Amino acid sequence: MSADIESVEAFTERARDWLATNLPSWDDELLDDVVLQNRIFDGGFGGLAFPPEYGGAGLTLAHHKAFYETADELDRQLPGKYWVSIGMVAPMLLERASEEIKQEFLPQILRGDIVVIQLLSEPRGGSDLAGVMTRLTRDGDQYILDGAKMWSTNAYLADYGVCLARSDWDVPKHPGLSMIIVPLDRNDDVTVRRTRMADGQMGDVCEEFFDGVALPATNLIGAEGDGWSVAQTLMAHERNQTAGVGFGYLGSGNTTVMVVDRSALAASLAATARARDVLDDHSQQLADVFVDSIVTKLTSARIMRGQMLGTHEGPWGSAGKLLGSEAGHRAALASLATTGADAVVWDGDEISVENAGTAWLLARSSTIGGGTSEIQRNIISERLLSLPREPSFDRELPYSEVVRNASKF
Amino acid sequence: MQLELTEEQEALRDTVRKFIETEVPLTTVRDLHGEPDGFSKDWWREAANLGWTSPFVPESHGGGTLSGRATSDAVIIAEEMGRLVAPGPFLPVNVVAAAIARFGTESQAEAVLPGLAAGEAFASWAFAEPGDRWSPDAFETTISVSGDKVNVAGEKAYVEAAGVADHLLVTGRGEAGLTQVLIPARTPGLTIVPGRSIDMTRRYGRVVLDGVELPATALVGAAGAAQPAVEYLLRLALTLQCAEMVGVAERTLQTTIEYGRDRFAFGRPIVSFQALKHRVADMALWVEGAKAVGEELVRAVDADADDAGMLSSVAKVHIGRRCLDIVDDCVQITGGVGVTWEHDIHMYNRRAAVDRAMFGSPEAHRRLLLTHIERQTPRGAVR
Repeated sequence: MSADIESVEAFTERARDWLATNLPSWDDELLDDVVLQNRIFDGGFGGLAFPPEYGGAGLTLAHHKAFYETADELDRQLPGKYWVSIGMVAPMLLERASEEIKQEFLPQILRGDIVVIQLLSEPRGGSDLAGVMTRLTRDGDQYILDGAKMWSTNAYLADYGVCLARSDWDVPKHPGLSMIIVPLDRNDDVTVRRTRMADGQMGDVCEEFFDGVALPATNLIGAEGDGWSVAQTLMAHERNQTAGVGFGYLGSGNTTVMVVDRSALAASLAATARARDVLDDHSQQLADVFVDSIVTKLTSARIMRGQMLGTHEGPWGSAGKLLGSEAGHRAALASLATTGADAVVWDGDEISVENAGTAWLLARSSTIGGGTSEIQRNIISERLLSLPREPSFDRELPYSEVVRNASKF
Repeated sequence: MQLELTEEQEALRDTVRKFIETEVPLTTVRDLHGEPDGFSKDWWREAANLGWTSPFVPESHGGGTLSGRATSDAVIIAEEMGRLVAPGPFLPVNVVAAAIARFGTESQAEAVLPGLAAGEAFASWAFAEPGDRWSPDAFETTISVSGDKVNVAGEKAYVEAAGVADHLLVTGRGEAGLTQVLIPARTPGLTIVPGRSIDMTRRYGRVVLDGVELPATALVGAAGAAQPAVEYLLRLALTLQCAEMVGVAERTLQTTIEYGRDRFAFGRPIVSFQALKHRVADMALWVEGAKAVGEELVRAVDADADDAGMLSSVAKVHIGRRCLDIVDDCVQITGGVGVTWEHDIHMYNRRAAVDRAMFGSPEAHRRLLLTHIERQTPRGAVR
């Protein structure tokens, strides 16, 4: 890194001036995400911590953080659809992709001209991610992709996906995987369908079907068989996203951060309980919504401090995800209980309304998505507390044999 | 508990740990169970020499802090005490020392603090009243001033180390509001009814005050003006107690994990079963949460921050509840031997249960928090 890099303080002042004149506030008319991101990029503030040869500004993550913090401080509009593409996929490509892919994709991603999402989980499950069954078959200088993916966030508005698929069935689970870039805007051999969620609304997650999709071999990220290690790079950036750190921190416009302040929610629950004359029944549960919120926030702040001090490395990210999502779920249960009959029955003929009952229908999303609570507990017990790993039936054998054995278990 | 300690604080932690391990190991704690006081006064003098009674006493009276932050120093000792369920009237002596140093007169400080700091004298806070009453609103003890005399009448309960106390700080209601007095234990009309607790070494007592007459110089702070002092002392007591529970919970969990690694069943260490691993993972995060809220509370108490009262209740709710959950589930993981006298874990259950109950239960603190919650601006999807 060059010694004459702009100081974060000087940069922040420059960013502040630019933001104040170039981005509208949230009170102004809302701009399209593409317009916002184009403007940020063309103003020299896109890909701040990426090298200039890939369209970045060649600064650091501290500059990146300062930019988004300043934008939030000034209440400026930020785009909402790039958190997977810019926050997770782009840094993964920077670390793992070929020079050709980086030259071609990164500038377009960082400018917001294309969106690239991740294609990991499958209809049969997502916790055993290395067990994916989507098939990637070599055919001369091409690969053929067949199978189905599910729970892919933002796939419906994406141009490409990075897809984890099985390229070799005769080797064990992990080395049989490869990661490859797939265009999603093709008509006949790729189908993308938004998933309708339990509350009746369309989700941000999608299902994709791949039917003999031919892809150039140069679309591979890393070598054939490197898929698992590339996926881990991707998931590390996903954890950062959830924790609101690193490349994944993109300000209030782009956030899926699990650790949120629920003290205001606790206050509205208390008001509801008082109005319904059930405060005595629910006071303990309501106070716990507040206590959970404070403890989760403080724990997450302690972990971040510990990461800087070197006392809380790596798998501690799972702790924040587990605590935040479980607290959110308990808050949804408290809302459902406090609102009682009025959370589930209403006047009029609207088929669905926004209330505590409807919200509860999706309350489990956060303890399932992004790695279930059970997987987080495995990570914490095995990697943080060094407890013995689960005995496995699938680590040594060729994966085709693993699938046969499982059906006879 | 505190992520960042000064060099002197690290040295204090190491010294305290070593002192407890060599002078009052768990075998000694078992022996002390049969002793009336639950600790040896000679040993307490040594503890005082190592600084156990120093943080809240000014240097001019034989004390002093290491970091300039008295609470931050004191919780280091409290947490180490929890780790080995150490004996000694650490909390009552330090809370009364803080009360006198901060709210007492110079002559009270001169009369009381050097003895407390040297470990020669003992003191306790006679705060709660019978029937699990920890809220001063519910107190019936009266402290009335007439001329240069003060009359005290009532009954105080759950007073730690009452049997050895030379001085009792009594909280009561006066004509003008909450009032506190420092009463020598051998004052006519003051009777101490000694009691025991479920803890191995911690003794409690009831203090009956019937026709106690004192000079007005016994008042700690002005009559009727003790509300801020009481709030501060309660926060301080909760902070020390919560730090101790962090030590109890962390040590019990560590010991249980080690045991689960060594013990085999069905051809594998029992702690390799997911049914246990997942519980252990949750417990480890509860401990981390306890440390996070504990250290934030220490910061707030030392700084007299506005959120200190709220944080003390949040800490008591989380730590009081989870410390008990942890020792309780660790007994289950330990199996049959965990409910025998021979195994050490019951000593931790005992300390956890007493700490959970003193200075207000998690249930009582949730109620207190409700008032704070209802002052927040409501927001969120509730109809």
